[in-house]
Amino acid sequence: MKSHPLRRILRLAAALAFVGAAGLWAATGAHRGWTKTQITEMQRDEITGIDYPVTRDGLVAGVDVVAAGAGLAAALLGVSLLVGRHPRKTVSA
Amino acid sequence: MNNIVRLLTTVTAASAALALSALAAPLSFDFKDPKGVNNVQFSLDAPLEQITGHATGVSGTISFDPANPGATTGKIVVASSSLTVSNAMMKDHLHSAGWLDVAANPEIVFEAKSLKNVKTSGDTTTADVTGTLTLKGVSKEVTVPVTFTYLPGKLGARVQKMEGDLLVVRADFLVNRSDFDIKPGQMTDKVAEQIHLKLSIAGAAPKA
Repeated sequence: MKSHPLRRILRLAAALAFVGAAGLWAATGAHRGWTKTQITEMQRDEITGIDYPVTRDGLVAGVDVVAAGAGLAAALLGVSLLVGRHPRKTVSA
Repeated sequence: MNNIVRLLTTVTAASAALALSALAAPLSFDFKDPKGVNNVQFSLDAPLEQITGHATGVSGTISFDPANPGATTGKIVVASSSLTVSNAMMKDHLHSAGWLDVAANPEIVFEAKSLKNVKTSGDTTTADVTGTLTLKGVSKEVTVPVTFTYLPGKLGARVQKMEGDLLVVRADFLVNRSDFDIKPGQMTDKVAEQIHLKLSIAGAAPKA
């Protein structure tokens, strides 16, 4: 029995959402904390010996990205189960 | 003859006193640092990962006498808006009315009143500094272990064509957020009560 085309599309989108989120997380270092939108490095001032932060914009995906991808995938999968379902016909005697 | 001797003695004594007072005079160090080297780092424990951040909007002045470091006084100010963390949404929460309320409380201030347990070794002095810490509009007396490192003549190495001295101040201490009305007793399972603060700042005293 062939599945409804929209159902296939939704399941594919669910897979892409999860793989995309997990892939982004892995590609930016598999950081096991919250997503970072700034990256800070410490440098030392030679004259005073003070360690000071130098910050730049940058993205490090965190577990919240993976969770969001998984949540979206689950929602798309849930919708796909509802698509293409035929309503039950009552048979009169 | 006696009058001349008396006059010479008086003038000599006065000159010596003047020279000694110039040597012993406290120096005023300015901690404004547009380059952002002066910084306060903070961290708090949280379930997923430790929350860490820093602030670089430091200013203030400290009066420090290398010959009498125990008499040090001063005030250090940190602009609340300069506090930052690595997640933009978390930073917005940090600045919001529910947490630091940066709009209503633009400054975090520590005003030093007295020093105890002063120990000097070379150009380094350690002491327990008692003063008033004002955070989110709440002022509390705290005692903080501080290290002062006096660097005579080093201002020129930092700023071209300027002569003077540098004073490096370091402090490492803990405060409780509930003491300063920062969500007291709330969300202790998500954000720790204790905030670890680490201050590393340098002030300049240009020669007149």
